[in-house]
Amino acid sequence: MKRHRIEATIMRHTYEARRNLDRILDMVYWPVLDIIVWGFFTLYLGRGTAMKPGMISFMLGAIILWGLFFAFQRDMAVGFLDELWSRNLVNLFSTPLSVSEYMTGLIAVNVLKAATGMTAAALIAWGCYAFDIFPQLPAFLPFMLNLMLFALALGIVITGLIFRYTTKIQGLAWSFAGLLMPLSCVLYPLKSLPSVLQPVAWMLPTTHSFEGMRQVLAGGGFSRGHFGWGLALNAMYFVFAIVFFRWIFESARSRGLLVKLE
Amino acid sequence: MLIEIDHLTKRFGKFVAVDDVSFEVRPGEIVGLLGPNGAGKTTTIHMILGLISPSAGEVRIFGKPFNAHRQEILEQMNFTSPYVAFPGRLTVFENLMVFARMYNVREPRKKIVELARLFGIEEMIRKPFARLSSGETTRVGLCKALMNEPHLLLLDEPTAYLDPQIAAHVKGILLAMQRERGTTILYTSHNMAEVEKMCHRIIFMSHGRIIASGSPIEVTQTILNEDRDEPALEEVFLHVAQRRANNEAA
Repeated sequence: MKRHRIEATIMRHTYEARRNLDRILDMVYWPVLDIIVWGFFTLYLGRGTAMKPGMISFMLGAIILWGLFFAFQRDMAVGFLDELWSRNLVNLFSTPLSVSEYMTGLIAVNVLKAATGMTAAALIAWGCYAFDIFPQLPAFLPFMLNLMLFALALGIVITGLIFRYTTKIQGLAWSFAGLLMPLSCVLYPLKSLPSVLQPVAWMLPTTHSFEGMRQVLAGGGFSRGHFGWGLALNAMYFVFAIVFFRWIFESARSRGLLVKLE
Repeated sequence: MLIEIDHLTKRFGKFVAVDDVSFEVRPGEIVGLLGPNGAGKTTTIHMILGLISPSAGEVRIFGKPFNAHRQEILEQMNFTSPYVAFPGRLTVFENLMVFARMYNVREPRKKIVELARLFGIEEMIRKPFARLSSGETTRVGLCKALMNEPHLLLLDEPTAYLDPQIAAHVKGILLAMQRERGTTILYTSHNMAEVEKMCHRIIFMSHGRIIASGSPIEVTQTILNEDRDEPALEEVFLHVAQRRANNEAA
């Protein structure tokens, strides 16, 4: 991998983020809107008597971390869709740029974009709802890492599917994370799921991140178990995503789809 | 040889887009790849660039097999076609900066200004790409194609959207590059007069196969099967297209 080609990819997507209102909205508007809506909801719940202590923190923390996961997964796929929509793929891949260099550049830009959205949401949660996520960050960081790794694996798989099935399935970029939300136990503990769904939820690194986050907020400390499970599952999904992407990319080259995607 | 194409074939299911094509291009040559629509020219160029993988055969560039030396080879070559585009919201300058970084160009700003001036688009450099006319976008593509001072240039109808005056200017630049730097150019065009003027050698394709190759006069004589004193590629093109239409009707 050559650094200057990774930098070129970073430049391309940074320029796009600066010039494209859709990307600015994606980056800040949705995370902020989510935290405002859920913040009001938690205020309403907080007035009731049945609210368990710490529930507001659980919910707001979960919304901030889910926003990070969703944004990272979406931006990986949308970054690639930007090349398709602008008919830039042939220009890019007729240079020495490799797929791994391109993906590395895209990941770097998307980490910054997701962090910007998460910071905006966290500041609003702190300013408006007195939920301060920042002291918890050191304990949250491993779970955030797991969320981003899983989002990356999903983003790679979705990008591969777009290579093969073109923009016909571009809606997956925005919708796929939503499919996982009910099983990821974002706002409720794993044990509240029907027992038949619990093993499926257990196989998602997102579930372990949110379970781990709740343990930190409940004062139970950092959960090595949830972090370890999440990391091991991510390693498995990541290897699968890379193998799948390589196979589908070669298949797209063989079918001539790389030039027909234009 | 700078390009060696050895028994290159591309099948899409039952359809054979490129059928056992072999040719060579020497350093410093300008070679025209001609043929009617669907002849296999663009698929051949895409296989040379590694954008489509061949079903059979091999591409060697600068004496090296493409697949094993993709990055090393692509660093020294470039490509443009008026049918591909750049991100529309980015300015011309930003788009060219991305490619300057991609090729690790030293003093990229100076290089971009120099190329923009060469192709007469310096006044559009701060405009978003989407606001340019077709002729202007073609010239941005040419600026990108010369960004890394390539030894090998693949040009797919480089003058397609240009008015005659600008097209003549572009051809002058390409001929000067070939003369001064020894740049090798593989060129496709539907403008036969342009090809006669630009190319040392022609490879004429139809139905995925090479049906004639040589100098413009040799190709004219081979395909028309007549003795001619002057090349007549326009007539050759019409003859091949008509023959193809007759075959398809039959």
